[in-house]
Amino acid sequence: MNDNKPVIVFVGQPNCGKSTLFNAIAGFKAQTSNFPGTTVTHAHSEVLWQGKVYTIVDLPGTYSLTPHEPQEKVVLTHVFQEKPDLIVNVVDASLLCRSLELTVELLELEYPMIVVLNMMDLAEKKGMSIEAEELEKKLGVPVIKSIAVRGLGTTELMNSVEKVLNEKIKPQALKFSPEVEKRIKKLQDLLPEDFPVVANKRFTAIKAIEAEALAVDKFFLENNPEFKTQLDQIRQEISALREFPAYEVIAAERHHLALKIFEECCRVRHARVRAAEKFDNLIMHPVFGLFFLVLIFAGMFYLIFKVGSPLEAWLLKPWEAIKLAIENRFGQSLLAELLSGLVQGIGGGVAIVFPYFIPLLLLMGLLEDSGYLARAAFLLDTFMHYIGLHGKSVPLFILGFGCNVPAIMATRILESRRDRLITVLLIPFIPCAARTTIILALVAFLLGPWWAVGFYFFNLLVIAVLSSILSRIFKFSSPGLILEIPSLKWPAFKNIMKKTYFNLAEFVRFAWPILIGGSVLLSLLSFMKFDRLMNDLLSPFVSGLLGLPQSLGVTLVFGFLRKELSLLMMFQALGVNYANLLSVLNQEQLLIFVVFVNFFIPCLSTLAIIWKEMGRKVALLSVLLNLSVAVVVSLLIRLAALIF
Amino acid sequence: MFHKSNVKGSKLSNQAPTCLLSEMPQGEAFRIVEIRGGPGLQRRLLALGFHRGDLLVLDGEAPIRGPLLVRNLTTDTRVALGRGIANKIIVEPVRNNE
Ligand SMILES: Nc1nc2c(ncn2[C@@H]2O[C@H](COP(=O)(O)OP(=O)(O)OP(=O)(O)O)[C@@H](O)[C@H]2O)c(=O)[nH]1
Ligand SMILES: [Mg+2]
Repeated sequence: MNDNKPVIVFVGQPNCGKSTLFNAIAGFKAQTSNFPGTTVTHAHSEVLWQGKVYTIVDLPGTYSLTPHEPQEKVVLTHVFQEKPDLIVNVVDASLLCRSLELTVELLELEYPMIVVLNMMDLAEKKGMSIEAEELEKKLGVPVIKSIAVRGLGTTELMNSVEKVLNEKIKPQALKFSPEVEKRIKKLQDLLPEDFPVVANKRFTAIKAIEAEALAVDKFFLENNPEFKTQLDQIRQEISALREFPAYEVIAAERHHLALKIFEECCRVRHARVRAAEKFDNLIMHPVFGLFFLVLIFAGMFYLIFKVGSPLEAWLLKPWEAIKLAIENRFGQSLLAELLSGLVQGIGGGVAIVFPYFIPLLLLMGLLEDSGYLARAAFLLDTFMHYIGLHGKSVPLFILGFGCNVPAIMATRILESRRDRLITVLLIPFIPCAARTTIILALVAFLLGPWWAVGFYFFNLLVIAVLSSILSRIFKFSSPGLILEIPSLKWPAFKNIMKKTYFNLAEFVRFAWPILIGGSVLLSLLSFMKFDRLMNDLLSPFVSGLLGLPQSLGVTLVFGFLRKELSLLMMFQALGVNYANLLSVLNQEQLLIFVVFVNFFIPCLSTLAIIWKEMGRKVALLSVLLNLSVAVVVSLLIRLAALIF
Repeated sequence: MFHKSNVKGSKLSNQAPTCLLSEMPQGEAFRIVEIRGGPGLQRRLLALGFHRGDLLVLDGEAPIRGPLLVRNLTTDTRVALGRGIANKIIVEPVRNNE
């Protein structure tokens, strides 16, 4: 117990709006999207409410307290080891019946608890009318209605939090049928003195019956053969009651309780088929759905390019002018070099990155909040099987188009370690926002939009080929797709703006300084003629192997920090401005440059996250894989250029 | 709507014509009789709210023998299930008198 700062954890099934509710209370801190499994790690925040400070914790979603996926285990650590002062069980009211199963399980803990019925707007649209008072009576805990996207219900929730904590109200677990309850009681009494009790004895006994491999099991049961026999005996007894495994009996008990409570507290008027549902059937249609999918992605990149390129051209002008003015004013001095490096870094961020980055963020936000990611996973599952993965990797790849880092974090939703490994190795090949900028700014802007389309297509092909190869190396059958399809939701404009702002702020805080610092550093290097030395060293590789101008050596190396940095430094290194680029590089060299920067190594932050998530070996493997693919593909382009 | 006696799947399955979830015609309600496959799969499906006795409807299929879109009428949730998994779920048609 923590008296001065009570700890409140948000627990609920995936996609019920925990993070949205958390953000509504704590300010935008956690990523949200209409896809089950968005949050994969916890987020803390301290909240001041009526003169008292609370620590609130947003957790990943979990379907039950018996975890299956790595991110679900996070929930257990928080609930069991860190003993929260209060559990806020967030429930998607439009899926009340199913969600109540977790609520029933949470009540077994007998911790202070509040139930939040979120998404009341959707429940009403579905024709459900839920009687909160009745539900409150049945569950024995306060029930609060909310619409988190609109910030409704947060005041009531915090008031209730204060009340429950002050009055130290603890709920009582709901009882199963007597014959099952009898066996649980029996085991409860048999628990040895030194058995590690979690929450309370009844809960511990239930978990012992349910769990297939409880962490305690292994150590404890080996040393207590007698208890093990008794446990097996009781499991068999329970199993005999219904003629199916003991864990299923317990699950069925919860299911019945949930159904009963649902039927008593919720009336469903016969809902008419909504237009949204018809539309949903259309976009998941086997033929039309695929057509729509291609259209959406093609449309997205077309839009980004259409918005970005004129904006870029327009924004570049003043910075070019400033650079020219600096050169005129200060000549060839160190100051001039440094200043123009600075201008390059700042201007590059504003004029080259933002015009593509912001539209991409907005459109990704739209895609995420509508619920389309899960649908893409459904539609593409078969194709993913051809390359040795399954549909659940699709949303991760799509996320990778925004930024590889969160995409790699999100691979925690994959149950199998093998799928996760392959997906993590492939994500760095997805052109993220930074690389999209490079592709659009160089390939589309200078060579024409169709070249960019071809480039993306080729990029996907590379990923498919790699995936096939990797899945042959790491053989293992995947368990197959099990994915909840969330309802389509109207993206809330405010939420998308907040998300975009959040991601943009992140870019400004972390990436932009690197861009500016890198540009200034390059100016310094070139003033001291140090870049020559590096270029000379890299020359056999850069000009010999790749056939690029020698002066691009340093540029490529810096791409490791941030991919956009290569783009900015390229102009600096070649000593030309944007419009004249093709006067010093030919088409082939431009393509090789883009390919190489795109593939050659995961950027620093991506590499760091791979290291953190998967370990050093995988990070190293990822570097080697990227490097070899970049070299091979570059050589292929040289070869193709020789032939045609 | 829900009778415990119906849950005793193995007995009932001898009388009623059962089929695999993957063979269900679209749009008709079926009842889950049994979930085969290891306990791992069973637990996962249980957690998602797929229990013996629940009513299911096939909402759609992805192209080229892709996954199935299954709606659980009892709990009103929608889940995409790969063919391999759908082949492990045994269902029976719901008779009219229910
Ligand atoms: N219509 C409606 N949408 C909501 C409401 N609350 C959240 N959403 C949307 O539901 C989606 C899921 O919200 P999240 O907050 O990411 O859900 P979560 O519970 O954190 O999900 P996981 O982290 O995946 O477990 C988002 O697209 C939200 O914008 C609500 O009250 N009404
Ligand atoms: Mg979340």
